[in-house]
Amino acid sequence: MTAQTHPQITRDLRMAARQGLLPARGSGWLGGFENMFRKELGEWFRTRRWWGRILIWPALINGIPAIFRATGQIPPEIPDILYYFQIAVIAGTIGMIILAQDEVIQEKQSGTAAWILSKPAARRSFILSKLLSDAIGALAFIVVLPGLIILVQTYLTTHQMAPLLPFLAGAGVVMLALLFYLSLVILLGVLFESRGPLLAIAFGVMIGGMFAAASFPQIGYVLPMSMDKISLMVALGQPLPTADVSQLISTAVLSILFTLVALWRFQHKEF
Amino acid sequence: MDTSNSLVIETQNLSKTYKEAQALTDLSLTVKQNSIFGFLGPNGAGKSTTIKLLLGLIQPSGGRASIFGYDVQRQSVEVRKHVGYLAQDPRYYEHMTARQIIGYTARFFYRGPKDLLEARVQEVIELVGLEDKADRPVRGFSGGERQRLGIAQAQVNYPDLLILDEPAAALDPMGRHDVLEVMERLRKYTTIFYSTHILEDVQRVSDTVAILNRGRLIAEAPIDKLLAGDGGSALYDITLKGEAEAALTGARSRVEGQPWVQHLSMTTDDGQIDWQVSVTDATAAEDLLLRLILEDRSLKVKHFGRKTYNLEEVFLEMIEKENSK
Repeated sequence: MTAQTHPQITRDLRMAARQGLLPARGSGWLGGFENMFRKELGEWFRTRRWWGRILIWPALINGIPAIFRATGQIPPEIPDILYYFQIAVIAGTIGMIILAQDEVIQEKQSGTAAWILSKPAARRSFILSKLLSDAIGALAFIVVLPGLIILVQTYLTTHQMAPLLPFLAGAGVVMLALLFYLSLVILLGVLFESRGPLLAIAFGVMIGGMFAAASFPQIGYVLPMSMDKISLMVALGQPLPTADVSQLISTAVLSILFTLVALWRFQHKEF
Repeated sequence: MDTSNSLVIETQNLSKTYKEAQALTDLSLTVKQNSIFGFLGPNGAGKSTTIKLLLGLIQPSGGRASIFGYDVQRQSVEVRKHVGYLAQDPRYYEHMTARQIIGYTARFFYRGPKDLLEARVQEVIELVGLEDKADRPVRGFSGGERQRLGIAQAQVNYPDLLILDEPAAALDPMGRHDVLEVMERLRKYTTIFYSTHILEDVQRVSDTVAILNRGRLIAEAPIDKLLAGDGGSALYDITLKGEAEAALTGARSRVEGQPWVQHLSMTTDDGQIDWQVSVTDATAAEDLLLRLILEDRSLKVKHFGRKTYNLEEVFLEMIEKENSK
């Protein structure tokens, strides 16, 4: 190919500079990240759905134990905190799968992914912006907000503060479980063109895994089948059996693996 | 920088295969700076495939392409920094307003004070005449409004190259007129590469044309050259007035005696004689044809001119010739 005369200062930059605008930050694999990340984060925090989320998640995670306690189904000696981890992992996982299912598939189906990728937006940035914004959204609405409320609830019912560091570590385990399903759903969104197989596989791993783990306990060494129990044990400062430690490590490794495969596959996707 | 001869797009043997189907075969073309390059072809010819390859939305099966010297595969993000693109069927986030869409697009290119970015957004909204609809969600937009929005978002970064895929295909005559007007307005600032099958539009605004058929490039030339006929051959229309039969026969034999004259056909109507002379060497014909006729002073030439084709004739002839191979 013959050498080109490339404009040293191109018209777009000259014109923009005249208006006081600077080139956007981020090039190469980070191209467009800031813009996409800001937009994705805005879907969590800058739309009216913000109010819905701020009500739904605490209602679900904090409300259920409160109702049980009010109706006398929870003995007074058992603190609400025990239920927080269980509900946060199960409801959070289901919520994460539902919330993230459209992140990639809908953009592919509607054609907006092709539109975005015709701009100076790197494909890796496209996936990472979704992953990171969903992780932050889930952390805020599913883990932190109900976590703060449960600490207050626990104090009000027991007049004792739950030990903060173990509680935070337990919340970290909840977050790890959510990250696992988030990265899995994003990967499935990259691999498939419709929601059917995505939902079947994601819920299959969650529900099928729980049933399968009853017959094949080895599954518990690899897949996050008992993260509710593990998060509670961590929050209570109890030592973890080897299988649970293995499950934690495996969940983290698989989450990273899913993300890497999603990035790699999306890089070769055609629009 | 010498802008007149700079190449904006250059492809070499660019090919794309989908499973068994060959969508594009060995496409080699060049697009010069500040040209309006019409990329023609029937449906399925490979026009959109070429555009997607240039934007890095699909990967080539063979060959290579560069835009402003950047490799479209390895430096795709760099390429897209200098390009504005309007897709054939543009899709946006339906819940966003036109202003939000353009603002979001602008932030892929620029950062800076919010009011300056908003001023640029307002500028392109006015450029495409969307002031009244700017703050309404895109989901309620008509086809024409979407196309205007498409041009606005493609233009927001003052692109050095504007790539438009069938920009007027889905529009009514008024919408088409508007789009062509915007293109003409932009031609002094930017290079425009656009695909279409509306030949009338191409003839109106393009300066260079490439014709694609079944994934193969069958012609690439400045539009006036393409309309003048292929290569050295040409057709001349001559209207004569002459009383003497002998003078006419003599002129005819002089013309037909030339090695570069392929064919001469004659029609008469009310004392007026029309000749159509097809030649293989247009230069020789320009030089000698009229002189040969006027050697006999009793003949009068009322009209002498090289026949020009319209793009539709050229296009159909080329496609038919190619399809019959």
